[in-house]
Amino acid sequence: MAILSLQNVSKEYTSDRQSVRALDGVTLDVAGGEFVALVGRSGCGKSTLLHLAGVMDFPTSGTVGIEGQPTSDLSDAQQTLLRREKIGFVFQSFQLLHTLTVQENVELPLQLAGKAGARELAIERLQWVELDGLGARYPLQLSGGQMQRVAIARALAHSPRILLADEPTGNLDTTTGGMILELLLRLTREQKTATIVATHSLEATSVCDTLVKLRDGRVEEVTRR
Amino acid sequence: MPRWKLFYRVMMRPLFREPVRLGLMVLAVGLGVAVVLAIELAGNAAAGSFHSSMESLAGDNDLEVVAWGGVPEALMGTLATLPYPLRISPRMEDFAVDTRTRETVPLIGLDLIAEGSRYASETDASNVNSKYKATLEKSVRDLENPESVWISASLGKRTGERISLLINDRVLDCVVRGVFPSTSGNEHAILMDIAGAQRALNRFGRVDRILIKLPANSTVEDWQKKLSSVLPPGVEVRLEGTGTEENRKMLAAFRWNLRLLSYIALVVGAFLIYSTISVSVVRRRSEIGIVRALGAERRDVLAAFLGEAACLGLAGALMGLPLGRIMAGGAVKLMAATVESLYVSSRPGAIALTPYSLALALLIGVGMAVVSALSPAREAMQVSPVDAMAQGRREYVARAHKGRDLAIAAVLAGLAALAAQMPAFRGKPFFGYLAAVLLIAAAAYAMPALVNFISRTAAGVLGKLFGVEAMLASRSLAASLRRTSVLVGALATAVAMMVSVGIMVGSFRQTVVSWMNHQLPADLYLRPAGNAASDRHPTISMELVETIAKLPGVAAVDRLRAYEISYDGMPATLASADLRVLRAYRESDFFSGRPTGEVLAELRGKNNIIVSEPFTYKHKVNTGDTITLSLGEARASFQIVDIYYDYASERGYILMDRDVLLKYLPDETPTNLAVFLVPDAKVAEVRKAIQEVAAGHRILIFSDRDLRTEAVRIFDRTFAITYALEAVAVVVGVMGIAGALIALVIDRRRELGLLRFLGASSGQIRKMILVEAGLLGLLANLAGFVLGYFLSLILVFVINKQSFGWTIRFHWPVAVLLGALTVVYAATLVSGLYPAWVAVRLNPLEVIHEE
Repeated sequence: MAILSLQNVSKEYTSDRQSVRALDGVTLDVAGGEFVALVGRSGCGKSTLLHLAGVMDFPTSGTVGIEGQPTSDLSDAQQTLLRREKIGFVFQSFQLLHTLTVQENVELPLQLAGKAGARELAIERLQWVELDGLGARYPLQLSGGQMQRVAIARALAHSPRILLADEPTGNLDTTTGGMILELLLRLTREQKTATIVATHSLEATSVCDTLVKLRDGRVEEVTRR
Repeated sequence: MPRWKLFYRVMMRPLFREPVRLGLMVLAVGLGVAVVLAIELAGNAAAGSFHSSMESLAGDNDLEVVAWGGVPEALMGTLATLPYPLRISPRMEDFAVDTRTRETVPLIGLDLIAEGSRYASETDASNVNSKYKATLEKSVRDLENPESVWISASLGKRTGERISLLINDRVLDCVVRGVFPSTSGNEHAILMDIAGAQRALNRFGRVDRILIKLPANSTVEDWQKKLSSVLPPGVEVRLEGTGTEENRKMLAAFRWNLRLLSYIALVVGAFLIYSTISVSVVRRRSEIGIVRALGAERRDVLAAFLGEAACLGLAGALMGLPLGRIMAGGAVKLMAATVESLYVSSRPGAIALTPYSLALALLIGVGMAVVSALSPAREAMQVSPVDAMAQGRREYVARAHKGRDLAIAAVLAGLAALAAQMPAFRGKPFFGYLAAVLLIAAAAYAMPALVNFISRTAAGVLGKLFGVEAMLASRSLAASLRRTSVLVGALATAVAMMVSVGIMVGSFRQTVVSWMNHQLPADLYLRPAGNAASDRHPTISMELVETIAKLPGVAAVDRLRAYEISYDGMPATLASADLRVLRAYRESDFFSGRPTGEVLAELRGKNNIIVSEPFTYKHKVNTGDTITLSLGEARASFQIVDIYYDYASERGYILMDRDVLLKYLPDETPTNLAVFLVPDAKVAEVRKAIQEVAAGHRILIFSDRDLRTEAVRIFDRTFAITYALEAVAVVVGVMGIAGALIALVIDRRRELGLLRFLGASSGQIRKMILVEAGLLGLLANLAGFVLGYFLSLILVFVINKQSFGWTIRFHWPVAVLLGALTVVYAATLVSGLYPAWVAVRLNPLEVIHEE
């Protein structure tokens, strides 16, 4: 059964009195343990799709459902709750808080959600991404690849059902980027998350379960392997 | 493209993107400028009008002949018969109270016939004062009426109307014979013929001053010597208007301290400009790198940031000008009341916005802004294009210098301690001020270490107590250490001034209250009605004194007499008391610690005196010294046998035995009475009896409790302006916190957006910003309290002592301080509301996308 379901989803933005259609009639189902690569040129709607899937935004039309629950009906507080429990984000530029240690960064989503045992869970997640022992360091003391692994550990801290990654290898060299993709794939399998990765990486397209090509806000092609 | 256009685009336009923050900064600077301007304008208005009616109506005289207790009329003859072409004008000068408005008005007795003739003879030479001349000429015809007065237009009466005047303890119903234009627009004055004035004041055979106009092209000093040689030794010939100058001199310390207090808001404003420009430099490091790479010179960068500060300063100054004028209106009332209570009779003059005050506002606004921006602008100038791109380096620099800054702070604190030990310089506590400035600078240097230590230490505790938002807030403050330190420094300075002045005033108040408990042993006190002032000594009729002394229940009446004198170029009060009564009843507080009876016994019948503490400080005299006083026509020497604590007035007091004073100034009428009752007498009954026998007199009767309440009321009114100044400084500081929090929110929008992605609710974001505001407030209160305590020691034991000569006993005004700190803390929290609202409204998608 699909954890994430987008049914005929469109999204329009109005900027300077001009309407821009960022997504146009997109339909996509992602199941637990499935790794989806989202590809397309800049401005094709990849980030918008991730924002809608991550309940950071509402569709103009169509339905976004998470485990069968439509997101459009949710209040701000309910959206926050959904994000806290079911969604993890990974960003291109890592987006770690430089004022917190590595471990504190990983603990953060759990603390924001007021969950107990944040420390233990964070240590475990750092083991998942093979950074155990580096918890006391600050992000600026890490390499780019290590920072992105911390970001992945943080995204998985609260055991989300959906993992969304926006260009996770965009700031990394090819080798490190490859390692990050492998890590994401492994964790998708192990944790049974529905993972969507927006990427330009050719490697991502080769390891994914489903390849979705976007063009001008529309799904041009879906390839399932 | 012209450089100014480039400057506008690169430096100014970004400021307008944050209008609320920009507005807060400009308003903060504007308030600082306004306060300084208001105190300057109000000070000029309140202090510039001593006896100004008297001086304005004195005409163009060169010298004045004065003697304490009055110049014998006979000396008029001595002067008039000298073979010199001198113009001689005798004057009586005192005060009357308009019973309708209760205003105290200068009362001037002139030889109206002579004055009228003089103006008549001068009319061809000048047409100035023609209205005044006509009034005086007509007035001569009414001279036969002893109740004739001529009044200034500002009193609102017309010729022929009646005006009821309280003079000493009697009401005189007078007829307005003429109205003359008011000097300076609003100066009140009442003129009488000199004989009428002597009668009304019950002072016969003496005049208060004789004004002398010298022939043209003569040397004033030569004439002073020449005239002194023909007058008795106690009579002084001095430059006309010397009294006014002495009053101004006396007020100098009061004005100085108030002026410096007004600069506190400006100092807080300077911190904020420093903070704003520092933030601007940090934000634009990459831009600096780019423009430097494109060919801009270092001095261009320096000029750009100084220009930004100058624009903020100019905008603040322009806002401060009208604000200052409005604030001056309130300040002048408070200052005038203080001047009158503690120093000298005056009526506030008009507040004048002069070109000087405009220039002052612009100078302090722009000057303060540019000076505050120098350090960050110089840092911007030194940024290399490569360095500019390095993230996080700026804060690293702030962290790396903590140890060095702490060492500098220790050195500055040591220098402050040394400066506090230094004596006054030319009668002013320059080293006390220096100690205060050094201490504030030491605190500013110690601030990064303090902020870093507390915010890092607090992070864990706060996290446990208030959740992850509190932990994030404290980490965030510690991370932007430099900015946080400057902000905390700004608000802490304002809080410190509030605490230090609060402690100083509280200590002073407590000292005065306990002093009054010793000083008010009598059961009832009497003085003529009308507003009290330090330099006015209206008298009570002798027959009333004698009647009161015989009333049943009255054990003794202490007759106190005070004269306004000048000693060593400064105004002072000469007083006498009936020592028989004093010895039996009064408890006093002497420097020597000797029993009161023993000290006062040394005064009886001898040329011995005791002087107040401020007198010794002003005139550098001590127990055992001998001073010479001009009393009547004589000059007599008196030995100081002890010094007593006195907080009634800043002008020095000399106290001697009543019998001794009467030998020199044989006027028996007292200015105050202290009535002691027999042990079983009821105060209310005696009071009623006094009221009955005093029916024809206007006197005020106070119990010791009334007097204490009145003294505390005057005390609180006196210091109301200092509270107002502190409040403005705190408002400036709190506005700075609000502005800086907005800047923090804008600079950390990525982080705030990210937190929303990570599951933070809008409530949590709001809480985080409010906790930051609360932490800033807590740090500022804590640092401000500690700094304020040390500043209060300088204020109490150095600045106050060297400015006014009062010994103040240290006292913690716990309730006042707790209340004030709570209000500041609450204000800081409130200041976080708007930035919190801005933070909640940030669109996380946009701010993450910007990256």
